Amino acid sequence: MAKERSHKAQIVIDRLGKKLNRQIVGSLVACVHCGNCTDACHYVLANPGDPTYAPAYKADKIRSIFKRHYDWTGRIFPWWVHAKSLHTDEDLEELKDIVFGKCTNCRRCTINCPMGVDLATFNRMARGLLVSVGVMPEGVAVVSKDQWEIGNQMGVLKEDYVDTLEWLTEEMQMEYPKSPGIPIDTVGADVVYSINPREVKYDPRTISDAAMIFNEAGENWTMPAEDWDMTNFGLFSGDDDLGGGVARRLYEKVVELKGKKLVISECGHGYRSTRCEGPNWAQHDVSFPMESSVITMINYIKEGKIKVDKSKNTEKMTFHDSCNNARSCGLTEEPRELLNLVCENFQEMYPNRTENYCCTGGGGAMSMSEYTPQRLISAKVKADQLKATGASVVVTSCHNCVDGLADLIKHYKLDMKVTQLVNLVANALVIDKPIEVPTEEVSIPAAVTPVVAEAACLQGYKILVADDEPDFVTFVSTVLEDNGAEIIKAYDGNQALELARKEKPDLMTLDITMPGKSGIEVFEILRSDDELADIPVCIMTGKPELRKLIYDRAVKPPEGYVDKPIDEESIILNIRRILELAKSKGK
Amino acid sequence: MFDLEFARGTLHDIALAIMMIVYFIRLYWLTRFTAGKERQAPTGRGDTNPRKGFIYSWGNVGMPWAMESTRSKLFLYFQFVIFHLGVTAAIILMFSISFYFKDSPLPPQLALAFKIIIGAAFTVGVIRIIRRIGSKYIRAISSPDDHFSLWLLTTWFLFGYMAAPNNLAGGEWKLLTFFTMGSFFLIYVQFSKISHYLYYPFTRYYLGKSLGRRGVFPIKRFQ
Ligand code: SF4
Ligand code: SF4
Repeated sequence: MAKERSHKAQIVIDRLGKKLNRQIVGSLVACVHCGNCTDACHYVLANPGDPTYAPAYKADKIRSIFKRHYDWTGRIFPWWVHAKSLHTDEDLEELKDIVFGKCTNCRRCTINCPMGVDLATFNRMARGLLVSVGVMPEGVAVVSKDQWEIGNQMGVLKEDYVDTLEWLTEEMQMEYPKSPGIPIDTVGADVVYSINPREVKYDPRTISDAAMIFNEAGENWTMPAEDWDMTNFGLFSGDDDLGGGVARRLYEKVVELKGKKLVISECGHGYRSTRCEGPNWAQHDVSFPMESSVITMINYIKEGKIKVDKSKNTEKMTFHDSCNNARSCGLTEEPRELLNLVCENFQEMYPNRTENYCCTGGGGAMSMSEYTPQRLISAKVKADQLKATGASVVVTSCHNCVDGLADLIKHYKLDMKVTQLVNLVANALVIDKPIEVPTEEVSIPAAVTPVVAEAACLQGYKILVADDEPDFVTFVSTVLEDNGAEIIKAYDGNQALELARKEKPDLMTLDITMPGKSGIEVFEILRSDDELADIPVCIMTGKPELRKLIYDRAVKPPEGYVDKPIDEESIILNIRRILELAKSKGK
Repeated sequence: MFDLEFARGTLHDIALAIMMIVYFIRLYWLTRFTAGKERQAPTGRGDTNPRKGFIYSWGNVGMPWAMESTRSKLFLYFQFVIFHLGVTAAIILMFSISFYFKDSPLPPQLALAFKIIIGAAFTVGVIRIIRRIGSKYIRAISSPDDHFSLWLLTTWFLFGYMAAPNNLAGGEWKLLTFFTMGSFFLIYVQFSKISHYLYYPFTRYYLGKSLGRRGVFPIKRFQ
């Protein structure tokens, strides 16, 4: 008697038939189980002796369904070729844990397979099938929803995005009053610049650095006020409709602005999605050129539009290739060329380029907190690679890799920091022009303006620093005090709440894991209390995977969120941004 | 009557005909799936394109240095080469005896060449059987078809080795078994993993074309 099948399982099987194309069928039938791809996978290398991480083993979980329903031998003699159907919702959950939790779609096994089996592609297809019946990690659901509904992966509202760009413009103009800052929605610009929402939310310095480079090159550029997100969660979730929809929005925005070229900031999956896969998902032929900002920056240097001095970046640096850039877009030489132009001491990492190992945060892994422990175990391979370089800085051209690498650096206690090419280029910029004389209202001497402004930038603000690590509290407090702020310190959740009620600070930094009440509980209580709800909160955590716990609350999200380890510059930049935006909103 | 005459004649022809028919049905089945179209403008290095990509991809099989998986395990790569040469030699041997040396033994040098290649392939087959059973990674991905196909070919090599001179002096059982197994092999091929030879040109073509367009293939290594 035929086994009963759940409604969802039946849908997955039916939709599988519709997703099959010649490339995918080829990959599904061609595997000879030779095992050549086994050692290519970082999950296997970090879990010796566990065959369930082998690429072919994982692939067979998908292949077996195909064989049972669409291949001859599998339909007649299923046991002979390990063909197996899906029956229950538990079967779907089990498949979910494999396709989302045990593979980052890095494609390293693909380029090591003598048969040309592209597991990453059909793993993505399997993700899409599961997503279509609502079976997915929670983080995938949350991020996809944000990208569908708000238009970007991190749910950044238009007003916050525009406020941030305007604030960055003001910052730039404080230093260089004649700087054009960040032009928004300029029609007919030569370059439309699109970014990753992470830049607005956690790393605005990459935006201001890029702006400085564009302005210094004399570029006629702009950033759209809406539909600016070049990342695309469709690549990770396997949802081609989302992928196509997101890509199309950006393409249409460029056309609407009559932009001549789309420049994509440094992000591996964003570049691959927008530049390569987007036109396929959206079934849309793009009429304008698109390029990575890495190429734009090299061209500026080569054409003499900007001058750089590599002696400004002296630390020993290595380069991490993003899987999407290297194995799916061929972007391997340009980042190195640029790095060699702006830094003095570059040390190659081995293996590299198309053979590089994944940062382990790829394939959307950073948003799937349930798989964090196994992700961090697999990160050992990358950690060993990094350590062997002896470098103190790892440079990468991908925001996702920045998070993945920062997380593993912290986990494996490596003495390294992560940066991107845009930061290095901005730091190496040679600006010939004398510092512009400030506008008349500023009555202090021009030469000392930035210094004075920096030193006293937090004057008059009362900031509550809550964290259970005394060293971290001391570090953040010192940085803030040096910049003029008055500091209150709390070492657990209860104390943080008590002091917030008593002192009514202008801003509060909050760790997530603290004794007593956790940061999440404190945050929820704050937001639900009429008197405290408007205190801006900046989450500072060493557990980025808990991000979604904060954003899932039914209360207004925090104003800022930074991952530890954090440096002095980022603390100041983030705190100032939050305070100034709060001020401009009249809080 | 089931004898050598029948095995290397009628049976062989029937097996070949079935193989060819199923081969074309398989091809038809595969080509009924539409090929995904790539719309994006080329990325990556300017010195490559889809054509170079798929040529490189097809040639990959003869470039052990091109992939880390073969470069770092040359012993496995040479096993692969010998095993596939063995299959080719055994098939040629079957056809040679059926069509050219029906009634006479093979010239000694030719027989020796067949013996060396097929014998080496048999040795590799044994090593592969041990690996398929002994390695927990390979065992975990092996289906009954994987095991059976390997045993089938290895045993066929053994009889190919013994049949190589096409000499009936010791009785016809060696040749009879070789031909009977060969015919079974021809029929079984299309229903088993051995059909990978049919898919190989497609998978590598599409992967190569796509990665050529994106400047990934041919892979350039700088160490
Ligand atoms: S290398 Fe290719 S053919 Fe061999 S087991 Fe892996 S996916 Fe299958
Ligand atoms: S795509 Fe990457 S993570 Fe997934 S199985 Fe292959 S090597 Fe492993």
